[in-house]
Amino acid sequence: MQKYFRSPFALRLYRTLALTALIALMTGAPGQQQTPNLGLKLSYFQHVSFFGLFVTQRWVVFLALGLMVLGVSELTIRYRPVVRTLRQRVIAGPARIFERRLVKLTGLAFLFLIAFMIPTLVTNAYWRAAMVEQVAVYVLLALGLNVVVGFAGLLDLGFVAFYAIGTYTTAWVTGALPLAPPFHHALNPFWAIPIAIAITMLSGILLGAPTLRLRGDYLAIVTLGFGEIVTILANNLFSVTGGATGTNQIPHFSIHLGPFNYLWGLDPVPYYYLVIGFAILFIAVFHSLNNSRIGRAWTAIREDEVAAESVGINPLKFKVMAFAIGAASAGFAGVITAGQSNFVTPSSFTLQFSINVLVLVIFGGMGSIAGVAIGAIVIQVITMQLDHYPPAGFIPQDLFMYLGALLIVMMILRPAGLFPARRRTRELQQAGQGVGHADEVLTGDVYE
Amino acid sequence: MKIRLNKTMVAVASSALLLAAIPVAGIAETAGATNPTYIVGFEGPLTGSLNFLGAAAVYGVDLAITQANASLNLPFTVQAIDPTNPASGTTYDDQCDPTLSPTEATAAVAQAGLIAIVGPECSGATRAAYPAYSAAHIPTVSPSATAAALTTGKTNNSFMRVVPGDDVQGAADAKFIVKTKGKKKVYVLNDASFYGAGLATVFNTSAKANGATTKTATLPTSQACSGTAGTTQFASTATLIKSWGATAVYYGGYYCDFGQLLNALHNAHYNGVIMSGDGSEDPALLTSVTSPSYAKNVYLSIAGGSSTLPTWFLSDYNAQSGAPDAASAPYASQAYDAAMMIITAMKQAYTVNITDAAFRAAVVTKLHRLTYSGLTGTIKFQTNGNLTRSSIINFYQVKSGQHGAGTTGGYGIKLISHS
Amino acid sequence: MINFFSAHWSILQSQFWSLLVIGLANGLIYAMVAIGYTLVYGVLRLINFAHSEVVMSGAFGGYFVLRETVGSTMPTGFASFGYVLLGAVSGALVGAVVATFVERIAYRPLRKRHAPKIAFLISAIGASYFLVNLAGKEFGRYNTALPLVYNNNVAFTFLGAQIQTYYIVIAIVSLIMLVLLDRFVSKSKLGRSIRAVAQDAETASLMGVNIDRTIALTFIIGGALGGVAGFMIALNTGAIYTMGFVPALKAFTAAVLGGIGNLRGAVIGGLLLGVVESLSVAFVDPAFIDVVAFAILVLVLLFRPTGILGERLGRAA
Repeated sequence: MQKYFRSPFALRLYRTLALTALIALMTGAPGQQQTPNLGLKLSYFQHVSFFGLFVTQRWVVFLALGLMVLGVSELTIRYRPVVRTLRQRVIAGPARIFERRLVKLTGLAFLFLIAFMIPTLVTNAYWRAAMVEQVAVYVLLALGLNVVVGFAGLLDLGFVAFYAIGTYTTAWVTGALPLAPPFHHALNPFWAIPIAIAITMLSGILLGAPTLRLRGDYLAIVTLGFGEIVTILANNLFSVTGGATGTNQIPHFSIHLGPFNYLWGLDPVPYYYLVIGFAILFIAVFHSLNNSRIGRAWTAIREDEVAAESVGINPLKFKVMAFAIGAASAGFAGVITAGQSNFVTPSSFTLQFSINVLVLVIFGGMGSIAGVAIGAIVIQVITMQLDHYPPAGFIPQDLFMYLGALLIVMMILRPAGLFPARRRTRELQQAGQGVGHADEVLTGDVYE
Repeated sequence: MKIRLNKTMVAVASSALLLAAIPVAGIAETAGATNPTYIVGFEGPLTGSLNFLGAAAVYGVDLAITQANASLNLPFTVQAIDPTNPASGTTYDDQCDPTLSPTEATAAVAQAGLIAIVGPECSGATRAAYPAYSAAHIPTVSPSATAAALTTGKTNNSFMRVVPGDDVQGAADAKFIVKTKGKKKVYVLNDASFYGAGLATVFNTSAKANGATTKTATLPTSQACSGTAGTTQFASTATLIKSWGATAVYYGGYYCDFGQLLNALHNAHYNGVIMSGDGSEDPALLTSVTSPSYAKNVYLSIAGGSSTLPTWFLSDYNAQSGAPDAASAPYASQAYDAAMMIITAMKQAYTVNITDAAFRAAVVTKLHRLTYSGLTGTIKFQTNGNLTRSSIINFYQVKSGQHGAGTTGGYGIKLISHS
Repeated sequence: MINFFSAHWSILQSQFWSLLVIGLANGLIYAMVAIGYTLVYGVLRLINFAHSEVVMSGAFGGYFVLRETVGSTMPTGFASFGYVLLGAVSGALVGAVVATFVERIAYRPLRKRHAPKIAFLISAIGASYFLVNLAGKEFGRYNTALPLVYNNNVAFTFLGAQIQTYYIVIAIVSLIMLVLLDRFVSKSKLGRSIRAVAQDAETASLMGVNIDRTIALTFIIGGALGGVAGFMIALNTGAIYTMGFVPALKAFTAAVLGGIGNLRGAVIGGLLLGVVESLSVAFVDPAFIDVVAFAILVLVLLFRPTGILGERLGRAA
């Protein structure tokens, strides 16, 4: 009898039921201040109509749905290998066309064309503002974190610190901080771009040099701590950063070169083109780095650090380089934000921010530039859509719950991401077969 | 030729579809009737931890719009507010977040027919959205944003508020503590937020000017208030307060962290006077302390507003479906007054076939010249957006028994005096 | 400079015992949470990011049970202690359940797939993020105060420090749990299996130890202790969906400070961190206390990453 309760089918049943119960909870009503267990109760005991047919309790509906899904998957177990070979033949085979150089370049040109056309295609005012502040900036951040997480394989949970440093450097250089600007008079935020990039790279080197010797999880915690320290300092050093009240007015970008005068005002479209221009530059730089000696060193360190060291690669040097380069992208994103919103406040620099950027990178495919960019766009667009036009009964903050679940599901089902880099996929497959980092799980020391 | 489904193509196609679908999530259309329709929008926290602020005020605005359309003989129609439908372009949910409010402001500015905004409710969000609104000359009349920095040095400000600013409130509070209550050793705390830090700074300066010795400390927003600091800082600070021998403690911040502070002060056996501003004035204060008796005799100051609202307002407000109970709806009457004043100014500034941009600027000018008699008193704005009337600050105290909006655990918040 | 020191030194002197008592109480809580980190690290060589949510769920577990059972009058005497114990036990149960779920859903599938370390970390972060926001949705994004089960008077005064009932509660409950844990790990068969897996997993499985079950047990124990700690925190400050993050991060600092993988080190690290954090209030603005804790973390990891006691679970205890 006990064997029956432990049989594979029974385990699948328990798993389905547990998952169904969890989904019912996730999509149920929220709790209230006066009755905190209202959410739990309503998730299961609310009257709902079963697809318009009849009215019943919520738990009945979910139970029925769960059992139906289980039934369908049980009945189709036989067909799974068939589906797999079909997928391989129909999709994966023809997909190889995209590895041909000409097709890749055409696809890229097409995407750039769409990117340039977007301001003319998008007419909704909210989206015109959001496409810069919420989408384009996050694409930049995701590209930067991709260098750290995807290329070099380091988990950085304090990425928001570099973004914060970028924004505050802009504020400083343009004279918006209580701290006097370095050149005795305020500069155009344009000049802040190289300065902010330099300072964030420097801080990346300063943070990385002592800490990148540490192993993966310790590094994650240390970067987390560093991110928190920067946030707390920004919030409390009133005489330097203006504290919680934020900075003063930061001027807009403007160019005065001879006869050519242009002021970036309140219209988001010029900012969009500015960001697109720099994003293309960053993408080109990152892509060429990845295909150079440096990128190969990163790959070697990622796959087997001891072997890399034995052929003469200095892991610390390349890791610090990755950190600094990723930080540069974040710093630039900070400049754009500061220049566009004219005002910086430390309340936006939270751990949640770092995790959001991490979700973008993981979802898109760590190590793949195109994947990360597309993943960032997809998730940010969905986030903004749900934020501004939430469907009935949906609370925008619940989105983070789904993002967290997404991370877990991605790691289990598709760790290489939605548009993975080929090399990463191969590494993960090899790890699954016991090559490379597989045995790091049960052994290993503080230092790698 | 077979269409080759491929991940990238699917992704590109679906992104394009998604982007194309967005403009369809439309903008409100103006009525094709003989009267043009204009929008008086609302910006505030409709979701998030402070959503009770937004929920209360938005229905005040809706009530004002309904009544104005019915009884003011307007040459135009003001579109009714629909807080459940963001696509209508009448509400802008900034979640009190200064990173979201610029985007919302930009959307509001681009909204056709939107002439004025009641809000934003939160000071930090107002500050972040200000460049967008002022460049478009959209009048923003806030029912609750009290930070002093929002009006300093401005002329013909597009931002106006129907409540006294923190500069007035901080000074009145300092006078209350130092002069009326006679406490000369004050520990001034703040929660490192845009609102709290500003209020505490003003209090500190005024208290010192009134002859008190003060000590300041910052207690960053803790997890009780959805911030990130830990809660151990309250116990340690309470020990320091007790050892310094403070006779009064003033806190600039919100009720959630104020509750933590009250807990710590009670545990440290602090016996002096405790006071806070209107961020702490919330019936939920009595549930954020471990026991309501910990909040006994705590003073709270509320800026402006009448404590007794006319019965017609209470019944009409409650009659709206979805509105919270009027007696405990913070800033509902202020929002009502703001909306009514805006509509009155719009009526005076309106000319046939006026463009949106000209209408917005004209309303700003009219608002600065108008004197309006509302539920919260006579409202006239200075050129920097503050009220001109010598603003009344109401002082409340937590006492046992039923007071005010309600009672929790046997304690209520009772009005005791005013400035 | 001398003025700075003398002013702060005098505060320290006059308040030393009070601050010390506060620090030890906080330290015991950090110790209980740190043990969860240390156990999981010893057995899996993995930092369990989702442990902060285990702490938070223990707090809510205790809250709901007390809410249903405590009437309108505040209990006194032995009834008080009974309710505290009830709350602690329910906190432990909920914590253990949540920890088990996290292990089953976020870690076990990856272990079966031999995923690289970064996958575990990301999955852990995802689990933590998910649980925080789920709790926020279900229980609201505001602070809920626990029902009062004891009168928080000053029980007695010791060397000028006023010992409140709250501190006595913390001391009794945590010492009971820590002693129980110590006996369990060093004397019982299951405890031996944990130490064996921590020392060498392959050999332990050759010796007949069921690795999966041992790992599940580790999570249960760590989760139980974390849940009790969460309940203790909530007794004083109330429960809110983000309450796990900061105490857990500081507890991780404590675990590293004492030597990660070392149970006694976790306790010592916790106490030490609590005391240092509390005493530093005399020197810095309370706003920077968290910076002190994080700075300790960074410094320990840079200069002495093996911690004070520096030994592994397998060899210690």
